[in-house]
Amino acid sequence: MKYSGLQKEVLKLYRSCIRQAYKKPTENQDHWVRFVHEQFDKYRAIPKRDFATIEHLLRTGHRRLEMYSNDNITDVH
Amino acid sequence: MNRFNHPILRTAFSKSKWNLSKYTSPLFRPSYARTMIPLRTYSSTPSLTKEIIYDRIVEILESYDNVKQGSTISPAASFSKDLGLDSLDTVEVLLELENEFSILIPDNEADEIKTVQQAVDYIAAQEDSI
Repeated sequence: MKYSGLQKEVLKLYRSCIRQAYKKPTENQDHWVRFVHEQFDKYRAIPKRDFATIEHLLRTGHRRLEMYSNDNITDVH
Repeated sequence: MNRFNHPILRTAFSKSKWNLSKYTSPLFRPSYARTMIPLRTYSSTPSLTKEIIYDRIVEILESYDNVKQGSTISPAASFSKDLGLDSLDTVEVLLELENEFSILIPDNEADEIKTVQQAVDYIAAQEDSI
C-alpha cells in the first residue's frame, strides 16, 4: 500500500513529535510519548477523505509541536 | 613511570606509525616488538551481519506491545499485514530501530520500509550503523 501525500504529512508530524519527545528530560519522556499517542488517538476515526479536517489538524499539530518544543517546557500532564 | 608502559598501550603503540621507542622500556624496543603478537584490539566489535541485525530487530519487535499477540516474526513479515501494526506504530518501530543502530532514516525512505527484511537491508546498507 502506498501512502497518499496527506498520510505522509501526518506520519511526518508524528515522527517529529516522537523525536521531540525523546529530547525532553529522560524521566519525563514516557509522559510525552503517552501525550502524543493520546493526541493522535483522538482523531483516529477521521475518514481518510476528510481533507479539510485533516489539514486543519495538521496545521494545529505543527503549531502545538513548535510550542511544546520549547526547552522550558519539561513535562506534560 | 611513564604512561606508555601500561600493558594495554604498549603493543598498540609499538606498532603504530609514531615512533615512541624513546617512551618504551628497553624490553620493548622495536626489534623485540616485532616478534610479539601484533595488535590487541580491545575496542573492536564483531562486524554487523544481516543475521545480527535481524536478531536485534526481532528483539525490539518482541518487546513492543502493539505487535499482535501470536504473530510470528519472520524476515518476510510485513509490519502492517502480519504484525498488526498501524502506520503510526510502524513509524515508532522505525524510530526505535534508529536509536538501536544509531542511524537516521530520512522520512521518505522510512515510508518505504514495510517489512522486516526491508528494514534489515536498509540498516545493512548504512555504513555507520552499529
